[in-house]
Amino acid sequence: MVQFLWENVLRKKRDENNVLSFLKKSFLFKDLTSSEVDFLAHIVHVRHFEAGEKIFTQGDPGVGMYLVFNGNIDIIMHDPSVEPRHSKIEEIFITRLEKGDFFGELSLIEDPSYRSASALSVTKSTLIGFFKPDLLQVIQRNPHTGNKIILRLAEILGKRLRETTEKVTELVTELNQVKVAEKGKSSEKHFTS
Amino acid sequence: MKNTLPRETVRLLIIAGFSALALYLVFYIQNLLISLVLAFVIFYLLSPIINLCERRGLNRSVAIFTIYSINSLFVVAMFSVFIPLIIDQLALLEQELPDLQAGLLTLVSKVENKLQNTFHFEEPLFRENLRQWMISQTSQYTSLIPKWISDSLTTLFLTPFLAFFMLRDGSLMKRQLLNLVPNRFFETVLKLLYDMNEQVGNFIRARIAEALIVGLVTWVGLLVIGFPYAALLALFAALTNLIPYIGPVFGAIPAFIIVFVHSNILFESMSINILAVSSVYLIAHALDAIFIIPIVVAKIVNLHPVSVVLVIIVGAQLLGVLGMIISIPVASLLKLLISTFYQQTLGPRRPLH
Repeated sequence: MVQFLWENVLRKKRDENNVLSFLKKSFLFKDLTSSEVDFLAHIVHVRHFEAGEKIFTQGDPGVGMYLVFNGNIDIIMHDPSVEPRHSKIEEIFITRLEKGDFFGELSLIEDPSYRSASALSVTKSTLIGFFKPDLLQVIQRNPHTGNKIILRLAEILGKRLRETTEKVTELVTELNQVKVAEKGKSSEKHFTS
Repeated sequence: MKNTLPRETVRLLIIAGFSALALYLVFYIQNLLISLVLAFVIFYLLSPIINLCERRGLNRSVAIFTIYSINSLFVVAMFSVFIPLIIDQLALLEQELPDLQAGLLTLVSKVENKLQNTFHFEEPLFRENLRQWMISQTSQYTSLIPKWISDSLTTLFLTPFLAFFMLRDGSLMKRQLLNLVPNRFFETVLKLLYDMNEQVGNFIRARIAEALIVGLVTWVGLLVIGFPYAALLALFAALTNLIPYIGPVFGAIPAFIIVFVHSNILFESMSINILAVSSVYLIAHALDAIFIIPIVVAKIVNLHPVSVVLVIIVGAQLLGVLGMIISIPVASLLKLLISTFYQQTLGPRRPLH
């Protein structure tokens, strides 16, 4: 019994230290000092998910982001023509996330926010949740730390926007090329006929 | 997915069990309920100041201790001025109470006679009932004073103690409770707790500001017109002002009874005192209605006025005066709870395209 208690206490301490070092390495919190990360560790939420458990569903109201502490998370999109709450719907696999990755950060800024994709825990996973009320608490109690987090968040959202713009440009170029090719084919057909 | 169901059920059962036990204890031990409500009031009043200290780089525990010390000095200073004044006025009221009761009965008799002459009633209407009610109330309050004092002392010691731990460990306690919430409800519960916290905090701060303004203006106004029991009546007006809509009316009744009894005239001519007292109460509530209600309260309590009155009646039936005071925040929290539940289960979601 005593050994069990000691193990439990030590494990809790070890877990806390692991969370601290994980947060320090995370891109979103990498500007924070040790005391700021320590403060943050008392605000974030450590959540455990079973293999196959849904983290959130596309279209659900979203409150914040998750950082993958361990395990694998699949990001899935549903067929837009079908309501995501109904079962047996077409799913499109987007990406698989692993330790150190994060997702759902748009919900920290958007109001009201809805999940643009679903997240599913593939293996037994531990996630660190950082939500809008937590961010607001950081801003209220320690605005300096809050500013650092918001700047990093803006950088992440900027990167995502740049990536999206590049993707859209790429797609538009491809679409134009397809159109030109189709035009060429049709004029060729017209010429031969 | 199948493995998670029993764990979630156990978590839900633990939460439900703890909530039921906490509710039972709070409502069973009436003193605990009052202490808890007052501790929440202190928590919401001091939280912004403590956050401000924390922003200036002060450790939270040190900030709480410092604010508590400063506040204790302030409360002691205020009590040393205000409490003797109230005690003096209560003693004076106790002496004058038989005269006031007799005066009130005479006044009621006059009204009754006028009504009987006008509408030709034979039976006395409410004079005898009022006499019986006043006798029962006086004897009841005399016997209740020792119990009331002992209850107040318990509350006086318990409240700051509870508030201190709420301020210091509130965030930690909330996190530990949230740990018990199953994953699929976690975000909803977190958001709900945040919204509830904001709503209750704003409501309490606005109500206390209102009560302070009404109390202070009434006190100064009654002092200016040289009205007796100014401090006592101002305290009563401030406390009853915590009850929305009907509170201000309750708050003004004792002053008007005193005016009517003292002037001992009715209907024949309007005493100047009535005008002066009415002006004091009207100015106090006009300031409240012009500055506080539109800016703060209206934005916080999103309930229809009819719902507010109904909710106050239900609160009064369940918990008396305390019920009347806490009924509005409780009702707005219930509204928030129901709308969140609706949004999560049946409400519209963002179209995917």
